Amino acid sequence: MAALRGYRRADGRLGARNHILVLPSVVCADQTATLIGSEPGTVAVVHQHGCGQVGDDVEHTEKAFLGFATNPNVGGAVVVSLGCETIQGRRLANRIAERGQRLEFAGIQLMGGTANTVDRGREAVGRLREQLARDSLEEGGVGELVLGISVDAPNDLATGLARLAVAAGAAVVVAVPGRLGAAWPDAAQVGDGQRAGAGLSVIEDAGEGAEQHVALAVAGAQVIVSLRGPGRPPQGFATGPVVAVAGDSAIFAALADDFDLDAAATSPEELWQLVVETFNGRLTASEERGARDFVLRRLARTM
Amino acid sequence: MAGLLTGYRRGDGRWGIRNHVLVLPAHTAANLAAERITDGLPGAVSVAHQWEAQPDDPDHERISATLAGFAANPNVFATVLITIQESDQEVARRATVRGGVVHVVAMASHRGTAGTVAAARPLVERLVQEAGRQPREPMPISGLVLGLECGGSDALSGITANPALGVASDLLIAAGGSSILAETPELIGAEHLLAARAVSPEVGRRVIEVITGFEEMIRELGVDVRNAQPTPGNQAGGLTTIEEKSLGAAKKGGDSPVVGVLDFASPPAGRGLYIMDTPGHDIEQMVGMVAGGANLAAFTTGRGTPTGCAIVPVVKISTNTAIFDRLVGDIDLDAGRILDGLESLESMGGVIYERLLAVAAGELTSSEGRGNREFAISRTVSPMTAFSG
Repeated sequence: MAALRGYRRADGRLGARNHILVLPSVVCADQTATLIGSEPGTVAVVHQHGCGQVGDDVEHTEKAFLGFATNPNVGGAVVVSLGCETIQGRRLANRIAERGQRLEFAGIQLMGGTANTVDRGREAVGRLREQLARDSLEEGGVGELVLGISVDAPNDLATGLARLAVAAGAAVVVAVPGRLGAAWPDAAQVGDGQRAGAGLSVIEDAGEGAEQHVALAVAGAQVIVSLRGPGRPPQGFATGPVVAVAGDSAIFAALADDFDLDAAATSPEELWQLVVETFNGRLTASEERGARDFVLRRLARTM
Repeated sequence: MAGLLTGYRRGDGRWGIRNHVLVLPAHTAANLAAERITDGLPGAVSVAHQWEAQPDDPDHERISATLAGFAANPNVFATVLITIQESDQEVARRATVRGGVVHVVAMASHRGTAGTVAAARPLVERLVQEAGRQPREPMPISGLVLGLECGGSDALSGITANPALGVASDLLIAAGGSSILAETPELIGAEHLLAARAVSPEVGRRVIEVITGFEEMIRELGVDVRNAQPTPGNQAGGLTTIEEKSLGAAKKGGDSPVVGVLDFASPPAGRGLYIMDTPGHDIEQMVGMVAGGANLAAFTTGRGTPTGCAIVPVVKISTNTAIFDRLVGDIDLDAGRILDGLESLESMGGVIYERLLAVAAGELTSSEGRGNREFAISRTVSPMTAFSG
């Protein structure tokens, strides 16, 4: 019996979900994207980036948008552009399409304002939905899983879960806020915008919390486990399941509805089991409540 | 016209021209709850942001001031602040000091999102009803604080819409109101002209200090600002340098004396034309001015933009007729009529001024009609890697 069931993508990867993503290339397109994304089966993100950015921050942001929109959990994407932004929406859309993603483009200045763009964007969503309706679940092996782990600092649960997952044949990528230090000496480094390879790898300087979710999705993770420290509230992610584990029992009790597990009352074995079930369709607490967080780490101030 | 102006009197003497109930997340993990609380509830509005509210965040002070100022804007009848813990009172406390009315609902007291929505919704419904019962009262023009903004500029911005808006701003200030000119990077090259209009040598020094300080910061970073300022759209619109953009951008401030320089999100102490130190980014700038107390905004655009603000009406003015016609229903006024000889700068300035007063009195702008509520937190440093210079 196959371990995983998911959606086979053009590049061969397996998606755990089949979202239609509506992605504004700039904050100025947020409301237009939200109106387009109000159609069922779609997820529109709201963010504050795409313009007035400089230096490495521009490339970092464009890589994040690109990796986010081509994560295997995304079955199709609509890029919504204003037109005059720093991160040019048309160019971003072309790059997403070049990677084999089903891609539609809507431009506010190009198409004549909000109303026209929303109409055209909704038609685009309709075309994508027809294509996604023909997708069927296929069987795959654990070797096709990229498990993302989000931590404030290395901890026993993260270490134990990573060891189990790698032993089972999955790829594991861990996001850490700063430098890794002495933990996981054998882990490969995943560069900004790169995909994680087999075995254990690490993304350093990935930001904190929900910022790490973006970095992990860019690296190809289909399922994310959040193993943050005490007191941190749970956060979800726009296009994928996040198994949110409370760092201490007090924060778990206070926000029990939004967490999946309490770190004090779970084990690497239970987590690994839940990761596989989650890949195969079990909804996490963040998916149940409809969280669509997209929090992008910035490298430089806005101009 | 002036005698017809009405608004909502606030306890501290300020005036609102709208009476929103704002549901504001104090932490990015509260975004969804804030949105759900306001879903399908006219009169209540929420915004979303990406701040984790870490006490050791080097931008903590700036961001806390921004959220508090936004919550305390006079167009807000009351703010319901969604926090994680009951003890997260900082933003509420600061907003109250700034004249805001704030109710705190902590997610940790309601087991998470669903319980928070269930607990806060009746409170917000009650506040919306109370806001609806507050009458508009005759309001002096001195109660208006106009935020001036340009975005997606083109070569006509400095010829049509910006100077026409400058005329309107001068009319407002002559009638006792206030304006805020911002977008520091878009004032680079115009600092000497603005400093010469300062009411005192000290204000003049501050003008030079803030604008050249921004320029020096850019130089020290060693980053290439092309495509950030001017943006690709500015360049396609015929603007070649930031100085060229600035000389046009500064015209939004008309010819009035500069009475003061404001830090980001800080309120003006008196009346007249102020300069606020903000980025050029349209949404970060708008949020900064609104957090400083602007209750009305005017936004000129050459390339066209649909954006607005959750709690402040934004009157958008195109620099050219082609973009006004093209972005159907997104732009409020067309200053391209100046090019066609249909209006002079002075008459267009009068048209803008009359529209601003009508909007202040209750007429909805295009972005209000569409529910635009773009929001952005302005940072000076990245959370993890502060620039070392």
